[in-house]
Amino acid sequence: MDELFAPPAYEWKRLSPKYRSMRILTSLVVPPILFTIPALIVGVTSGKWWIAGLIWAAAVVIVIIRLAFVTRNWRSWGYVERDDDLYITHGVMFRNLIAVPYGRMQLVEVESGPLERAFGLASVSLKTASPETGARIPGLTPEEATRLRDRLTELGEAHASGL
Amino acid sequence: MSASQPQRTSSADPDVRTAPGQPAPTAGPLKPTERPHPLTPFVRGWLVFVAIAIGWGREIVTNAGENQFELGGLLWILPVLAVVVLLAATAGFISWYFTRFVIDDEELRIDTGAIFKKSTKIPFERLQSVDIVQPLAARIFGLAELRLDAGNSTTKLRYLTRSKASRFRDYLLTRAHGYQASIHDLDQQSVASIFTDLGVADQPLVQVSPQRLIVSFLLSTEWLIPAAISIIILVGTTAFQMVPLALGALIPLLIGMLSLIWRRVIGMFNFTLAESPRGLRITRGLTNLTSQSVPINRVQGVKTSQPLLWKPLGWYRVDIDILGHAHEDGENSESTASSVLLPVASRDEVELALARVLPGFDLDRIELQPSPKRARWLRWFDFWTLHYGWDDRTLITEHGWITHVRDVVPHAKTQSVRIEQGPLQRLLRLADVHVHTPRGPVNAVAHQLDDHAARELALSQLDRARAARAAEREHRAVKMVRGDDHDGDAELLAGFGIGRDQLLGSGSESEVFALDHERVLRLYRSRHEAPRQTAAQLRALYASWHGIDIGVELPMIMEAGDYRGRFYTVDRRFSGRNFSSWLQQADIAQRRPALISFFDATERLQHLQSPVPGFARLVGDGTPQQFGTLGELLSNMLMGPVQASRARLERDVPGVSEVWNRLHTDLAQRSVAPALVHGDVCPPNAYLSQGPQGPVVTGIGDFSPHTLNADPLMDLAGAVIFLELEPYAEAPADAAWLQAVAVERHGRDIVGWIDVYRRYYGFYFSNAYEFDPNLYAWCLRQLGR
Repeated sequence: MDELFAPPAYEWKRLSPKYRSMRILTSLVVPPILFTIPALIVGVTSGKWWIAGLIWAAAVVIVIIRLAFVTRNWRSWGYVERDDDLYITHGVMFRNLIAVPYGRMQLVEVESGPLERAFGLASVSLKTASPETGARIPGLTPEEATRLRDRLTELGEAHASGL
Repeated sequence: MSASQPQRTSSADPDVRTAPGQPAPTAGPLKPTERPHPLTPFVRGWLVFVAIAIGWGREIVTNAGENQFELGGLLWILPVLAVVVLLAATAGFISWYFTRFVIDDEELRIDTGAIFKKSTKIPFERLQSVDIVQPLAARIFGLAELRLDAGNSTTKLRYLTRSKASRFRDYLLTRAHGYQASIHDLDQQSVASIFTDLGVADQPLVQVSPQRLIVSFLLSTEWLIPAAISIIILVGTTAFQMVPLALGALIPLLIGMLSLIWRRVIGMFNFTLAESPRGLRITRGLTNLTSQSVPINRVQGVKTSQPLLWKPLGWYRVDIDILGHAHEDGENSESTASSVLLPVASRDEVELALARVLPGFDLDRIELQPSPKRARWLRWFDFWTLHYGWDDRTLITEHGWITHVRDVVPHAKTQSVRIEQGPLQRLLRLADVHVHTPRGPVNAVAHQLDDHAARELALSQLDRARAARAAEREHRAVKMVRGDDHDGDAELLAGFGIGRDQLLGSGSESEVFALDHERVLRLYRSRHEAPRQTAAQLRALYASWHGIDIGVELPMIMEAGDYRGRFYTVDRRFSGRNFSSWLQQADIAQRRPALISFFDATERLQHLQSPVPGFARLVGDGTPQQFGTLGELLSNMLMGPVQASRARLERDVPGVSEVWNRLHTDLAQRSVAPALVHGDVCPPNAYLSQGPQGPVVTGIGDFSPHTLNADPLMDLAGAVIFLELEPYAEAPADAAWLQAVAVERHGRDIVGWIDVYRRYYGFYFSNAYEFDPNLYAWCLRQLGR
């Protein structure tokens, strides 16, 4: 099955392990925060704290599910620079593989939000003339991200062709 | 309000006309700039008035549910309205007053802005389309808007008289296509009329009659569904006597239906697709008349769709993706550029139109494959309509039953490819393949393929896209040479004192002309940077060998230059004649000694110095590039070609991955000091002269990106195995004989290594399946050994 998403004749490059740490943190923190507020509102307004408990329990279940998938999700990401195109794969349940020819790249961006910066991470996204392309590689080290950006820009220029 | 405005503008008019010296913001030398037509602010103010009226009207309508048209309460709005209209009129006047434009033989420039001056100058070549739009208000006064599309920005020039607009349009389109023309030469041959916008020279291809437009609209799914829902709601609420409740749902539905009528019927009224001397042109519209040119080179894909009820009538609708258009979702049609090529047409008409938009596209030639039967578990509603297929130019996907949709994407326009698979699909071993095209109605997805087929489709689509783009580039380069540059060629050749009759040979990259006994002129086809870079690297390489005598003539670039953007080099001419053509007519007694001298010359090449130590690529993009081992260098060399041909090889060579692995294990065992490798020592690259003892190979030319610092055995193997490719009957026998010579000189071991390099070159040239079936067959033989 995995061969469906394997790159031809190359090894995937994987994301930084720090990306997994970041995902673990967000999985632990975000659902409880999101669920606590409604739980409190329900509890305070109705006084039925068992409903609040249920909501919290749901948050815990979500955290557990997300934690169970974090490593697999992290490991599911991969990218590889081939001679003429870049392959990106990700997804545990919904898998996908995207291939972007260098000649089609119009824009390569490095982004790093506050959370990513705290973990020393950055992501690279590629834009083509097609809005559906949506190729993005998260969880790279800043050095790898800038290297990739420079490399892709260079390759993009070398392969550039009209539309 | 409408009475005061024209007065004001017309009173300002005479002064304005007589004051062309008004300094335009960035106009350097004084040049007669023009203002748009003086009625412009009035027409634009009118639009504002209409917009306000519509907004107000809507207010009344939406309030109508609760309070029965309480107009009285809304009367306060009238003075506000007057002020707004006045302000808009003033703004319109100011904007008109400060707008000036020049369209002449030198430039196209539009200056706007009262306080913040802005000057837009559009180079003629950048113009992608020039459309004329006549909104109703403008139309009444015989005015038209000129819409200039360049890159991703649209510049509007409004309003001009209709005749002026059409004249400018014709002139600009002529210039945009790269022809020289003078604005004064264009007579008024094609003037848009108030009803249609076809010039005299325009040949209508397809005309949609109002009857057909209306019938097709009434039968279209988009119309029938809201119509059916409204009827159901009406009937239902009447039955239960709750009509007022229904209004909340009915009003948005009715507005949606009205806007559909507006776009599909009013906007598409009198739709005509015509062939003009400058490409396809669409004119359409009942109130707002739009004339739009279809830039065929920017068509990125085509979608035909057929609602269920159109099927018995054999009608189709055709949309196209045009690069840069369609920021709106396709058919925001009242006045903007739309993606509709044909709103409704018969099959014959569709074919006629498609033949213009996608030249060479032939639906019947493409074999469509259905998705596997098991797709019915996921797409029970339309699994039997899922198809995909391709030929050497385009990819097709089909889906849908209520509306049957067929997306056609030329390979060269593929942006990227995505394979997707959800958990249910994984159970059923199915996957979707998305082929991405620029924004627009076309959305090519091959749904629910067998997973192997999906992977095959996606990877091979990339190869096809790459091949198609390369072919397009080639085509463009050749066209450039063949087209307007031919005179330039002749001029360049004349500058060297020769004519085209001195042509020695021509390849895909360049043509070679004899200059004299000493020199040849190599004229590169492409304007691209790549040949310059390669030539510069080769020149340095050849120069570094200057003074080294290995007993073989080597190439030398004496001069490189540019003439009107064409790149050329002057190379030293090899003495003698081409070895390959000589071989074809020589008999065996002559051939054998010549082949020995060819092998000698090949052996001597290793004495050449490499500019960098260690295993390395020497010529081409990103060189010199050094590698730690021979194996690394050679796998790097194979990466590109094998990636292109992998899908083909997997099909054509049983156990190809085993061959691949064996090649890498073998290469890993080779330990050798790096030496210069020509990389393509074959008879066409060798030159033969008559020596005292008969014909001798005296020169080897055409070093190239194949040139490496690597295993010296590669060239010896190459000399043997490439001989098999020569087009004369005894070539394989000669190659076998030459291999025996090699064994005699270098020992038995060499046979094994020649076999290794057979496999290497078998992979290396395997992308030949795209352009040279003969070479590809040779590759397959090498890999099958």
